[in-house]
Amino acid sequence: MDPPETRTRRRRASARSLLADRAGRRAFASFIGPVAIVAALPLLPFVNHYILAVTVRALIFIALGQAWNIVAGIGGLLSLGHGVFLGLGCYTTGFLFNDLGIPPWIGVWGGVLLSVGVALVMGGMTLRMRGVFFALATIAISLALDQLARHFVDLTGGDNGLALKFLGDSLWAAQSRSPVPFLYGSLVIVVIYYWITRWILMSRFGLEMQAVRDDEVAAAAAGVAVFRTKLLGLLASAAMTSIAATAYMQFYMAIDPEAAFGLAQAIQLQLPALIGGLGTALGPIIGGAVMIFLSEVTNWGGAKLGISGIDILVYGLMLLVVVLRAPKGIVGWLFRSPQGSKG
Amino acid sequence: MGDIEAALLLTLQAVLSGILVGGVYGVLSVGLSLAFGVMRIVNFAHGEMVMFGMYAGVVASRSFGIDPLFILPLSFVFVALVGAAQYQIVFRRFVGHTTLQQLLAAIGCALVLQMIAQLIFGVDARTATSMFTGQYIVLGPLFLSKAQIVAFVIAALATALVEALLRRTVWGKAVRAVADDLEAAEIVGISTQYVNISAFALACGLAGMAGTVLVTYFPTQPTAGFMLMPIIIIATTIGGLGSVGGTFLGGICCGMVQQMTAMLWNSALQDVPLYVLLLLFIAYRPTGFFGLRSE
Repeated sequence: MDPPETRTRRRRASARSLLADRAGRRAFASFIGPVAIVAALPLLPFVNHYILAVTVRALIFIALGQAWNIVAGIGGLLSLGHGVFLGLGCYTTGFLFNDLGIPPWIGVWGGVLLSVGVALVMGGMTLRMRGVFFALATIAISLALDQLARHFVDLTGGDNGLALKFLGDSLWAAQSRSPVPFLYGSLVIVVIYYWITRWILMSRFGLEMQAVRDDEVAAAAAGVAVFRTKLLGLLASAAMTSIAATAYMQFYMAIDPEAAFGLAQAIQLQLPALIGGLGTALGPIIGGAVMIFLSEVTNWGGAKLGISGIDILVYGLMLLVVVLRAPKGIVGWLFRSPQGSKG
Repeated sequence: MGDIEAALLLTLQAVLSGILVGGVYGVLSVGLSLAFGVMRIVNFAHGEMVMFGMYAGVVASRSFGIDPLFILPLSFVFVALVGAAQYQIVFRRFVGHTTLQQLLAAIGCALVLQMIAQLIFGVDARTATSMFTGQYIVLGPLFLSKAQIVAFVIAALATALVEALLRRTVWGKAVRAVADDLEAAEIVGISTQYVNISAFALACGLAGMAGTVLVTYFPTQPTAGFMLMPIIIIATTIGGLGSVGGTFLGGICCGMVQQMTAMLWNSALQDVPLYVLLLLFIAYRPTGFFGLRSE
């Protein structure tokens, strides 16, 4: 066993190498290409509705993964209940639109407000404790909301869920038959989240979060306000999840308790960052694309073989492989530099 | 007056069935608490161990016509072996620290085990019958299920046995030593590898056995383990992570709160007060009633 200081120093060093200028430029170069390709997708001849819809799905889950990455990757807090913020975002936007006629452009902020409020309560109660308790509390809140959503049928549609009223193609209601507008909308969110993540990683706030993640006691001794840092990270992540959730709601047009608070969904929120590389700006983007690709392939294969739920098995295996064999994800493997291996 | 009497009777009924159900929740949770106490491992796949035990009961009852209560030792050994394998493959490298990676690995295990059960048994709910299934004892105005009474007795005995193992045997002494200080235990010559794997196997085997008892009155399906996991976590947190007897009492608390909510308020929301309770405990008393002081 290394003494803790050495381990911390090594982790700091690896974090710094990802932020170093050359690596940053490389990351930017490898980022602008894919953005251009995705933006040009609808113009290409062989691209059909299915490919566009899968791309939108991937982009939305990338955005959700980027939001989770803030709290779990940079902050080191294992939230197993980010479905809470996904659900609050979807249900709030949907309820405000269906019952009060408020368009999602405004409804999204209602969802953000609610999510941040819940995150404030959740974080205020649990973030003074060590990690396990935070993880347990997030599960508890997501299960409680699941039961409440199933029970208050008038508000949420109960087990059947909530479906948006469809008004046809409309900018005001952010609705469209074609996936193309959603493609550009979610692409914008992903790009903005990428820059937010990069900014957080380089800012004092992000460095404090990483310090708390790596060694809480040492960070506190160095003058970091541990509780406040963790709480701010959680609030930022909750707001980002909620905004991406509105994109989810507009694209899928429906939400139900299983899709919001279910286990499979909670895992899908975590896998992008885990596969791609926890705590990196590029990780959730690569990981989300890989996850959706694998999930589409296994669903297709499962349908051929007549077995349902194969994607859950694949998710479980992916979790195990990533955690046991490649804890730094694809980005950690791509950007392993000679300096990094020197330690 | 009649109304008050009826309400009192209902409360009494809720408390009694809560205690019976809660005892089984307790023994379901003891393993989780033990694994945390000794190795600081929070095994999110613990529910899957219970689920395997439940299917063992179903197979015994449906395929061989044997009463699930007679195969308890067998299901203990079977699930203990599954647990030992799980420890060797996954959890060995996480001993001593509850990290993000450890929790995620446990969730991965849970998903894989759940899907294995689904591929073997299908998604439909399965039941098993023991000699007590569907029989009731009538005590004046109160009804108590015989299967639940038997399950409670077995749960209490099993918990007492584990508590005795930990307190009275040399092995138990070694386990407590490792729980106190892993490195110091190694220095005085305890094989921590052996202690850890046997404690983890015991924790899982106990969950499996409890599952076999549970299936005599509660149907099983591949997601049964995951659906029980919240209750298991809450019972463990209320009782105190790391304390065997405390966890058993925590289970009884959970059972009582759940049954009272279901009977006096609304059965669709029977678990919501439990989640609130969990949050309150985490915020104000994270060590539960009898938990470890450190961590």
